[in-house]
Amino acid sequence: MKKIKSYKNGSYFTYTSTIERGIALVILNACNIVKIYGEPDSESSTIALNGVSLSVNKGEFIAIMGPSGSGKSTLLNVLSGIDKPTSGEVTIAGEKLSKITGDKLALFRRKQLGFVFQDFNLLDSLTVKENIILPMVLERKAVPEMESRVEYLASLFGIESILDKYPYHISGGQQQRAAISRALVNAPSIILADEPTGNLDSKSSEVIMECFKKVVDELSTTVLLVTHDVFAASYCQKVVILKDGTIHSSITKKGNRKEFLDQIMNSQAVLGGSTDVF
Amino acid sequence: MSFNQIVWKMVRAQYEKYIFYYVCNSLAVMLFFLFSTLFFNDDIVQVKETESIQYVLTVPGIALITFTVFFISHAHNIFIKRRKSEFGLFMTLGMTNREVSKLLILENGIIGILSLVTGIVAGSLFSRIFFYLLTSSIGINTIFYHLNIEMFLYTIIIYLIVFVVTVGRTFFLIFNQNIVLTLKSDRVSEEIKMKSPLLGSVGIVIIFISILGLYFTYNGTNGGNYLLIWTVTTLMGLYLSINQFTSFFIDLIKKNRTYYYQQMLPLSSLDYKFKQLTSILMLITVMMMVTILYSTIILFTYTETAKQAMKENPYDIAFFQTESKNNLSEEELFSIVNQTENPIQEHLELSIYSFFQKQPYSGSSNVYHIMSVQDFNKLTSNQIELGNKEFIYYINEELENNDSDHALKFTFPNVELKENYTQIKTIVEKNINNVSKEFILVNNFEMEQLKNKLDGFESTIHLINVANWKETFEVVEKLQESFATFNENTPPIIEGNAEGISEEYLFRIASKVEDYNRNKNTNGILFFVTSFLCVLFFVGSFVILYLNLFSNIDKEKAKVKKLYNIGVTTLELKRMISKELTPIFFVPTIIGTILALLFMTGMATDIGGIVQNPEVLVHFLVVSGIYHFIQIGFYLYARKKMFLNLIHKSFID
Repeated sequence: MKKIKSYKNGSYFTYTSTIERGIALVILNACNIVKIYGEPDSESSTIALNGVSLSVNKGEFIAIMGPSGSGKSTLLNVLSGIDKPTSGEVTIAGEKLSKITGDKLALFRRKQLGFVFQDFNLLDSLTVKENIILPMVLERKAVPEMESRVEYLASLFGIESILDKYPYHISGGQQQRAAISRALVNAPSIILADEPTGNLDSKSSEVIMECFKKVVDELSTTVLLVTHDVFAASYCQKVVILKDGTIHSSITKKGNRKEFLDQIMNSQAVLGGSTDVF
Repeated sequence: MSFNQIVWKMVRAQYEKYIFYYVCNSLAVMLFFLFSTLFFNDDIVQVKETESIQYVLTVPGIALITFTVFFISHAHNIFIKRRKSEFGLFMTLGMTNREVSKLLILENGIIGILSLVTGIVAGSLFSRIFFYLLTSSIGINTIFYHLNIEMFLYTIIIYLIVFVVTVGRTFFLIFNQNIVLTLKSDRVSEEIKMKSPLLGSVGIVIIFISILGLYFTYNGTNGGNYLLIWTVTTLMGLYLSINQFTSFFIDLIKKNRTYYYQQMLPLSSLDYKFKQLTSILMLITVMMMVTILYSTIILFTYTETAKQAMKENPYDIAFFQTESKNNLSEEELFSIVNQTENPIQEHLELSIYSFFQKQPYSGSSNVYHIMSVQDFNKLTSNQIELGNKEFIYYINEELENNDSDHALKFTFPNVELKENYTQIKTIVEKNINNVSKEFILVNNFEMEQLKNKLDGFESTIHLINVANWKETFEVVEKLQESFATFNENTPPIIEGNAEGISEEYLFRIASKVEDYNRNKNTNGILFFVTSFLCVLFFVGSFVILYLNLFSNIDKEKAKVKKLYNIGVTTLELKRMISKELTPIFFVPTIIGTILALLFMTGMATDIGGIVQNPEVLVHFLVVSGIYHFIQIGFYLYARKKMFLNLIHKSFID
């Protein structure tokens, strides 16, 4: 059994990865999600998601892939509570999202979910450090706790030297690492990432995916990401492929990353997506 | 695609930026032109030379130039901040400095010229409306609206100077900065390099020296010129302290980690928009200061007009009457003055013996009035008695300090050498309207004696009080007419050789209503000018705040969206917006109020100081209270609008 040293609530905890104990604790459960844009049954309506069911266990690292317009981003928005499904139910950490509304939903997302965006979503007016601690500030945590948490995450992702810089002074890869730190700062149940490597070069993408791997392995935080990038997806344990608003297939990682990458590429070819791009 | 086509395409694609810039510039030109139409108005220029209006116009004139400088550079900064990143892009793509300059000159030149034209056209239009509304509401018919070349010339020159300097600064920055920085200029925060609390303190010291300077020099002969200097130095000190202290305070707060983190979002946002913030603080402070200062002056002069008339005229109507002058019968007098709706309440008659004395050297004559002390006692609560050969010199004037016993030496004219009269004392107090300034008081016996000894004439002073003096305008006019017709048919009482005495002046009617109207007319121009300025500055300050808040709304929306994405609740967003708005709305209002109070204290020295005139302070409190109240209202409105724009419209749910 592998013991992992992790930081939580101001002190280091040692706890056991649930996966290795073989207990599948469901963190996120989406049941028969349908999302229709426009008035249902009218001609102009678009079905973005059509009966998607998905279950994510604690400590899992899952990528959702699919061609443009397959409903990836819609799914992520629905899962995160930013968008409401037309029908179906999303449950995160035992709470039904449909039961939480307004500011309570914002509070829930702040505590339970961590977000990583394609365009990093850092505030220009704040330094990297201030950006990272922002969610903790909102939670009114004590200053020493906030500062030690930032230091820990910054050293984990190798961004200690840029903490006092502003977002426009650092590279995209550094900005995304800052964004991942921010997503993790309140120790969420799950991290949702929307094309986290979409704006980055391949070298930075690699660094970012290594960071996500650390998030899963060392902090045993669950990560769900949406991506186009097969290379990025190959870091995950499982890839779910969406097509036309439904789950087309899913591939679970067996063997090493190179083999998994080939597997994903093959399934993309079957889908008719272009594999050469990546 | 040619160069011009590119430019045109860009303008069309981002017309909002250009429109914002153009509107701001036009507004600055318009406000300045409005002021020029007042400052260079011939009717006002005439009064300006004789009355104190020139001084009154100094402060707002400087304030308006300061306003133009800050407002135009503020608008330019907002505009160029967005444009600069595009220039950076062009330069990366290989556009030469020459081409970028051409583009900059072209678009700024066009906007500058358009703004001048729009500002002047709108300014002359609004000015016409302003003139019409104000002259008709105050009832002044001595000021007429017109345009002259000076108005255009000064507006154009001042605008062009400010504009060229501002644009020139941008040129310098773009060509001396590296391209990457220019490219990112849309995102970088506006920090100032120098953050010195010492320099900020120097600013405050400058302000206080200026106020003290104003206090000690305003009352002097060149008070108005000094006012110009002190206003300029005050504004300089204000800019220095606002500029330095704002960043100093933010830095100071940053040191207290717990507090800083709690207030991180609003504080960093204020710090981020630092340059905008300082110019806004500066602008609103100046606007508020001028508006509050001038509204108080208006209110004071307005209420003072009536009070002044009351002070000058203890009785509603007063005049001299002799056998041959102003001699209407009691019935005739009553038929004119005693109106059923405004009846006579009091009618006093004082017996006077008047005589002339010719000055030995100048050849001009003086007229002296002898009054019996018994008659004088009817006017006051003091009961004075005089013995034979005694007299009192009575000066009919209000004295500033309350010391009424003045040992003013006065020699009894004409009789001095022949008779031995002793001056008991001098009394200085206002008991009678301005029919005469000085009287000689003696007892009844001496009065009769002197009538025989001196070559003069007997007269009566009539003092009349009615129910409502404000309604006596027509009565006084009618009385004047009747007196004039009566006096025409009687021989002159003053001999031809009595130089320096006008019969008309001697037998005029001194009434409250006439004094009131005269004061109102001289004060009216002052009233007009100040009202004009107050409206101008008040509207101006609101427009600036509004433009400032809503010019960056898209960027703010994006920021709010980002915050919402990471789980910030709408309540927290609202709190953050409120915290950002509060200092912008209230810090300048409070500083402006304090400065207005200090200036008022300085300027009150010419009416005897602020402590001697507590009503000035009361007026100030009323005016500033109203302004703060309006400001709170505007704050709540702007906040609501911000909530609506930033929060409700940003999210679907």
